[in-house]
Formats: sequence, C-alpha cells, structure tokens
Amino acid sequence: MGEDLLMAEVAIGLVEHATEAAAGRHAEQVVHFFDLMRDRLLRYLLGLRLPVEDAEEIVQEVFLALFEHLRRERKCRNARAWVFRVAHNLALKRRGRDRRNRQNLSSRAGDAASAAPDPEQQFLRSQRGMRFSAIWRALPEQERRCLALRAEGLTYREIAEVLDVSLGTVAASLGRSLARFARADGR
Amino acid sequence: MLSEDSHVPDEELLLASDGELSPERAAEVSAHLERCWSCRARRQEIGQAAIDFVRHYRESRDPLLPPVAGPRARLTAHLAQLAALPAPWRTRWAEFFEKRQVAIGMACALVLAAGLWYGLPGIPSNSGIRPVPLSLPDPNLTPGAIASISREQVCRSDLPRNRPVSSSLRHEVFAEYGIPAAEPKAYEVDYLISPALGGADDIRNLWPQSYSSAVWNARVKDALEDRLRDLVCEGKLDLVTAQHDIAANWIVAYMNYFHTDRPLEMER
Repeated sequence: MGEDLLMAEVAIGLVEHATEAAAGRHAEQVVHFFDLMRDRLLRYLLGLRLPVEDAEEIVQEVFLALFEHLRRERKCRNARAWVFRVAHNLALKRRGRDRRNRQNLSSRAGDAASAAPDPEQQFLRSQRGMRFSAIWRALPEQERRCLALRAEGLTYREIAEVLDVSLGTVAASLGRSLARFARADGR
Repeated sequence: MLSEDSHVPDEELLLASDGELSPERAAEVSAHLERCWSCRARRQEIGQAAIDFVRHYRESRDPLLPPVAGPRARLTAHLAQLAALPAPWRTRWAEFFEKRQVAIGMACALVLAAGLWYGLPGIPSNSGIRPVPLSLPDPNLTPGAIASISREQVCRSDLPRNRPVSSSLRHEVFAEYGIPAAEPKAYEVDYLISPALGGADDIRNLWPQSYSSAVWNARVKDALEDRLRDLVCEGKLDLVTAQHDIAANWIVAYMNYFHTDRPLEMER
C-alpha cells in the first residue's frame, strides 16, 4: 500500500516537473522512477524470454524514451503503465528481430544458433520451483503476461493498457490461471 | 442478485479481492460471502494461490537481476546529456501557444499552412529518441581493443597519452554511430581504452565522445585514464584490470577509482 502511494506520488511528480523549464529536474525524477521500476521491468522482460543483457538494454531505452516523452508532451497520464507498455513493445520487437537473426544464422551455418539463455531454466533446477514452473509453462503466453504484470502491482486497467486487450480479457486470464495454481495445490 | 443457493464464480471472487468490481456488485458479493462458507473458503484458496505465485515469481527472477549501479550510472549520464540539450521544438512551440491566446495560435497555423502550401520543408515528426551526445560508447560497436603491450611499456615516460586518429578512421566512426556530417566537430573521436593504457588503433576501440556534455565528458575521462595509469605504474593495479574496467563502463570506473558519484571539480 505504502509503495503504491509512493508510485502515485512519483507519477504525479513527473507530470508536475514536466511543466518546468529545468530539464535537470526531469532527469532526476526519471532516475528516481528508474530506481522504483527497474527491477520490476527486468523481471517482466525476463519472463518474455529475453537474455538479461537485452532486458537491461531495453530498460535503458524505456527511461530515455520516458524523458523524451515528458519533455515533448509535458505529461504522462500513467507513468507506470507507460513504461511497462513501452518495454513490452520493445521486447516483442527485439524478440522478433533475434528470431529472424537466428534463422539467418542457422540457415547459413547449417546448425541452429543457440537460443538465448532462458532464465526460468535456472529456477527449474531447484526442487521448490519445479511445480511452479510446470504450471507456469503450461499457461498460454497471454495468461503468463497478465499474471506477471499483476505480480508487479499493475491494476487490471493498466494491464489491459500494456497488453492492448480488454479489461474482460485481463480478468478472465487472471481468474483462469490462478484457478490452475490453486488446483495444482490441491485446493 | 446472488441467491443463497448460487455461488460466486472464481473470476468474480478474484475481482472482488482485487477491488475491481463495481461498487454495486462488490456489495452483493460481500453480502453473499457473509452467508456462504463455501465461497469464503474458495476466496481464501484463490488468495493463497496468488500469494504463492508472487513468491515463486520473485524467487525465480530476483537472483538473475544484475546489480543496479552500472545501469543507473549509465542512465544518469545519458539523461544529464539529454537535459543539457535544448528542449525539443514541439515543446517550445506548445509553450508558446499555451502562453498566448488561441487567436495567435490560429494566425500562426494559417501562416504555417500557407508556408506548406508554397513548398516549405516538412515539419519533422520528432517521434522517438533524438541522437544524443555520447558519454558511453555502444558496447556492440565499441567493446574496446588492446594492443600487445606490457606494463613496462605503458609506464615508459615517453609513451604518448593519446595518438591522433586518422581522418579516414574518424569518418568510419562517425558513420558507424550515425552522426551527421555537420556534427563531427562537436565530438572527439576518443579511444575507449587509451593508448596510454595499451588501447589499440582499432575501430572497435574508438567512439565519438561529446565535448558538449555537461557532466561526463572527454576531460573527465582523461582524468580517469591518468589515474588508472598512475595506479598501474605504482604497482597498485594490474594493467588487465585497468583495461577491463575502463572498457566495461568508464563512468562506473571513475566513480569507483575516485570514490565519488560525480566528476570532481578539478576535472571539470
């Protein structure tokens, strides 16, 4: 709850400072927002099966773009949803590009280029994570994305905005996937 | 309206827990839950599944997150440079219009429309990120490259601090970084690992560093190079570590070797 309040304050602060001439203050606010959001964005991007280096690169791009956006537009209605949406879109774009590159490489070299290291593989090796990972992997990608965004504290409306789907789709996805986790626990 | 015999679907129990139901529906569900043990138990099960999920989700990813210091320093440096640039023209025009009456805005719009009609150049869309003066090189383009050189050679007093970069190599670097022909004088094509630290004359070791950067500029990096060379020659740091640190992220290296989070006054 406290953290949510803090997030709201930061979002408001971003809007207010965007109206000031001092761009240095914008930069400070963006860095402060980076401190709050960086780990959340990274976790989400890792779930999209990006290597950690690529995920980190995308997070940098997101916050530079946020700074530019604030200077240009002078406002950001919901900075939290905005950074997740931009990160999500950049990640899908990069994933598509990497997939094409891998296909090109494999067709040239005659063997498949090694896929990006999957961060979930590491967790799979731990006993504790095995059941979780099995359910997680069985979920459709859309449900995984909804769950991850909800775990990062986004509201249903924000999730719908990030993924460009309806509120009903978000609610149905979360309901279905949590029911699976509950069933798997014998509940 | 929920009857006493019907139960609340899982999805609605979740929506109720997350505060996502309309007030009217939330009141109905709440009233039903007061009466229905079965639905209360189910709500608790779903809530516990959410708690377990969040715990596992965090445990599976948090160990993979690299330390924040390097990325934070990189972002701070880039933002400091962006902030030193003039605001994008759209913002300045927007301020102009907002501070004045709509009529003035309309008049300007008419003038602009007339100008466009007579073939003035189009107005840039200004979407996306503008090119920025660079404090840090692109690691894909400039990972750093070293010459075959020993510590003794590095510490010879006659070793030049920097070597001039040939004109053709400079042009290659500007082209690689997409810097327009009019811009090169604003940049120093700098060695990532300086020759004084054994850096090679190689495009992988060269990048356009901005003179105009207010904070992390070429002069600050020169100070770091001097410090690293001194440490190497005093036997307090091995040459390979110095080369690695300056190539990995020279701003973080500066912070570490000068024990500061911003350039010291004497280096400005």
